[in-house]
Amino acid sequence: MEEELLRIKNNAISLILEAKSKQELNEIKLQFVGRSGELTKIFKEITKLSPDKKAEVGKKINETKQIVENLINQTEAKLGEKARQRVAHNIDVTDPAVLPPLGHLHPVTQVIEEITNIFERIGFTRERYPEIDFDWFAFEALNFPQDHPARDDWETFFIRQQPDPKHGPVVLIPHTSNGQIREMLNKELPIKMLNIAKTYRRQSDVSHAAMFHQFETLVVGKNISIVHLKGTLDYFVKSYFGADRKTRIRPYHFQFTEPSFEVDISCGVCDGKGCKLCKAGWLELGGAGMVHPNVLKACNIDPNEYSGFASGFGVERVLMMREGLQIDDLRTLYGNKLEFLEQF
Amino acid sequence: MNIKILDSWLREYLQTDATAYEVAKQISLTSVSIERVEKHKDDFIYDIEVTTNRPDLASVNGLAREAGTVLPQNGIRAIYKPLVLMHEEKQSSTNNEIASSSLTPVHDLLKIELAIKAVNRVCAVVMDVKIDKSPEQVIERLETSGIRSLNNLIDITNYVMRVTGQPTHVFDYDRLGGTELTIREAKTGEEITTLDNKTYTLNGGEVIAENEKGEIVDLLAIMGLKNSVVTEQTKRIVFFVNNIDSNKIRKASMNLGIRTEAAQLNEKHLDPNLCEVALQYGIQLYQELAEGKVVSPIIDLYPHASEEKQVVVSLAKINSVIGIDISAEKSIDILTKLGFQVQQEEDNLYVTVPTIRAYDVTLPEDIIEEIARVYGYHNLPVELPSLNTQQAIQQEKNPFYWEQRIKNTLKYWGFTETYTYSMIPENLYEGPLNEAVTISNPLNEEFVYMRNTLIPSLLRVVSENKSYEQVKIFEIANVYQKRQNKLPEEIRMLAGVIKQKQISFFVVKGYLQQLFNDLGVNNYEFKPSDQGGDGTKIYVAEKYLGDIEILDENLIDFELNFELLIAHASLRKTYIPASKFPPVLEDISLVIPADILTQEVIDLIKKQSSLIVNVELIDRYENNRTFHVIYRDNEKNLTQDEIKTLHEKILSSLKKKWQIKEE
Repeated sequence: MEEELLRIKNNAISLILEAKSKQELNEIKLQFVGRSGELTKIFKEITKLSPDKKAEVGKKINETKQIVENLINQTEAKLGEKARQRVAHNIDVTDPAVLPPLGHLHPVTQVIEEITNIFERIGFTRERYPEIDFDWFAFEALNFPQDHPARDDWETFFIRQQPDPKHGPVVLIPHTSNGQIREMLNKELPIKMLNIAKTYRRQSDVSHAAMFHQFETLVVGKNISIVHLKGTLDYFVKSYFGADRKTRIRPYHFQFTEPSFEVDISCGVCDGKGCKLCKAGWLELGGAGMVHPNVLKACNIDPNEYSGFASGFGVERVLMMREGLQIDDLRTLYGNKLEFLEQF
Repeated sequence: MNIKILDSWLREYLQTDATAYEVAKQISLTSVSIERVEKHKDDFIYDIEVTTNRPDLASVNGLAREAGTVLPQNGIRAIYKPLVLMHEEKQSSTNNEIASSSLTPVHDLLKIELAIKAVNRVCAVVMDVKIDKSPEQVIERLETSGIRSLNNLIDITNYVMRVTGQPTHVFDYDRLGGTELTIREAKTGEEITTLDNKTYTLNGGEVIAENEKGEIVDLLAIMGLKNSVVTEQTKRIVFFVNNIDSNKIRKASMNLGIRTEAAQLNEKHLDPNLCEVALQYGIQLYQELAEGKVVSPIIDLYPHASEEKQVVVSLAKINSVIGIDISAEKSIDILTKLGFQVQQEEDNLYVTVPTIRAYDVTLPEDIIEEIARVYGYHNLPVELPSLNTQQAIQQEKNPFYWEQRIKNTLKYWGFTETYTYSMIPENLYEGPLNEAVTISNPLNEEFVYMRNTLIPSLLRVVSENKSYEQVKIFEIANVYQKRQNKLPEEIRMLAGVIKQKQISFFVVKGYLQQLFNDLGVNNYEFKPSDQGGDGTKIYVAEKYLGDIEILDENLIDFELNFELLIAHASLRKTYIPASKFPPVLEDISLVIPADILTQEVIDLIKKQSSLIVNVELIDRYENNRTFHVIYRDNEKNLTQDEIKTLHEKILSSLKKKWQIKEE
């Protein structure tokens, strides 16, 4: 009988604690302490026991009943509190909220943060180099011949300043590749650099802003190969655009890399089948290549001992490519209309 | 540059079962990008982006030659059928008569004099012709190629250009004004009228042809001139092919703004050997399509002959750059099919470069590119570089960490980030213009000076968003300062503007103060601005950090030196265990003249005892200021007497310094 009592007690407690409503609690109350409840029934059975045993068990049954009733009362009170609160606050939850302040980061900042995180995970270190630099860092050391079109003053902005006897005229950097030179001259090998900066070109139309952003990678060490370049590009593309996107490199021509590549990613709209938005299933991402031996030499690195790769992509370009933003004029990014910025 | 070529035209020189799409795909992956394949009747048009280093592929013949190599490498049967020239026997008879010509050439019909060194080669021939419409196939091929068909005489020059990649020109012989042409550099100020009837004043340095009378009759390698162009009456022509120094052509073409396809090709270092191919092919076409008869000897002036060069590359280097092992046989096979001659000696390849690729291929790396691209970049595996650098970065020293953190903080305080241009117009520049970092070749008046403060740009954003009653914006960007004989200094700044009705200075001060607190910058000071009353100057560790400016009652801006700010930012936190003894709080109300700063009063009070742990201004009304003072001793409970002594010490110090009294 004492075992039976313990079973009833445990059963009651667990049911009470799980009760979700007053009604449910009432049913539990009837089940255990009501007129035909389990504790009432068991009490009736003690008449079968010996007198001294009767007193002992009777006391235990009363204690149990007390515990169960107290717990029912407490639980009822708790459930009751909640019910009262609901009644007290008769609110329309569809009324406007009181919002904490929330501004917006520029989309370019958001993309730069994401790019940085991706490359840092595979051991690249982000650096910052001058936006206004000598011709030597922006062109000469990058193997641009003196008469290369990019050195013309219709493509690159020049600063009105006496040319440096050693490093030549001063320009607004037209690409982030001056960072390659400064990195190789300043750092110990091996190098794994990520350089993101503002860049400038003398062009302003719907698809070009005179100021834009590039991100540049540079890896220099022993036995760095095209296979590593492919691996790095693939990692970036899968991290940024999605695991199902494919990367390919095609022959291209740049002064500061040899071989040079154009990097394509499979079109996300048609999944590489070819559609109006892509070129036969592929979208151009940007340029890359193996660091040209003349560039290594300019930075006092022996091209017979070391090799490297570099890539330079437009931040705005990867922003527009992933978001599928319907921005018909790239310059909108720098127009700073709040209507625009508040959508990011 | 992009060129368009009809698929059926390509197949005149390429025998393959591959579809146009397959051809395009393989060429794109290994050579140059065929950006589109467009259906055209029963045919296809290739749209090819020719990179500056591969002008040899800006031609039907060149593309077929390339396809003949790269398609078989990728398992697609293809055979290159080279352009066949009927007059091959001529090759040994430069400056001599042509065997197949039915007429006896007249030697004094044309003489060409070279008065400059920039000419690599000039070929010319005089022919009797009959002007007519071109056959349908020629018209179709040219027009799908983006070239307008005019008449057979002109069309042949373009047809030859498209097949060989070498631009060519035709003059009306009888309009040349004599038998002698002199090729010389233009003088500044000379005038020409091009065949499209536009008049240009030359800058000097352009390469031109002048006739006996001293009239300019051609702007070489760029565009023909009106006075010598063929007309409906033309009976006799000079077919004219030349190769001029590429840099001179580009400069002239860009300066004059004449970007013909001829100019774009001629500025890409074409092989002078192409001149002869083009000349021979042209003669052949004039004979076939214009009843052409050669009436002069062929003139071929070739002062700068192109030479075959040799490049040496080791097998080890090939494998190390490509990243997989490629056998010597494979490398040799690829190079040979591309027209290179290869000798293997031990572990080195001695590669002779064909003149058609002489400008582009000069280094071992160039040879490696040829092998790798034809082998197929898409056939190479993918692998992350295993090397790691030793470079350790402490988060606290990482400016990018702080920049992102500050941006996020401001964002969650309701600021929106802007990106404004680094270059500004004159009206946004603050300070003397002769000290400005100035662009010497601005694109327009908007982008002339490199800014030395972000504020004017931000204020412009505010004014360009007029419809917004409240604007809270910020930006982190560089400003630029001129330096003598050095690069301009680039200083990263954090600036913001708040436009709001009756915006309080103390709200803006609050943002900055909380920002400093969040960054762990604690040695900052807000000082009255020099001008008095319109803002504050902020110092960190006694260095000038920036300012807050009250522009009007609804507009306040701030600008801080970001680099100085984060130099004092810290991730270190100090934990002080809670005191066992309770603090004693007291409010002291004082009558203080307006010219005494609250901070000075607080500093003086704090100085009186180390038991005064904090002093704050909690109220200000006219001359009365109430300070909340907290006393605490970490060793014991403070008694009433001790508090009284401290209180009196505070009052007497204030009285002594400023005659300040308790209210």
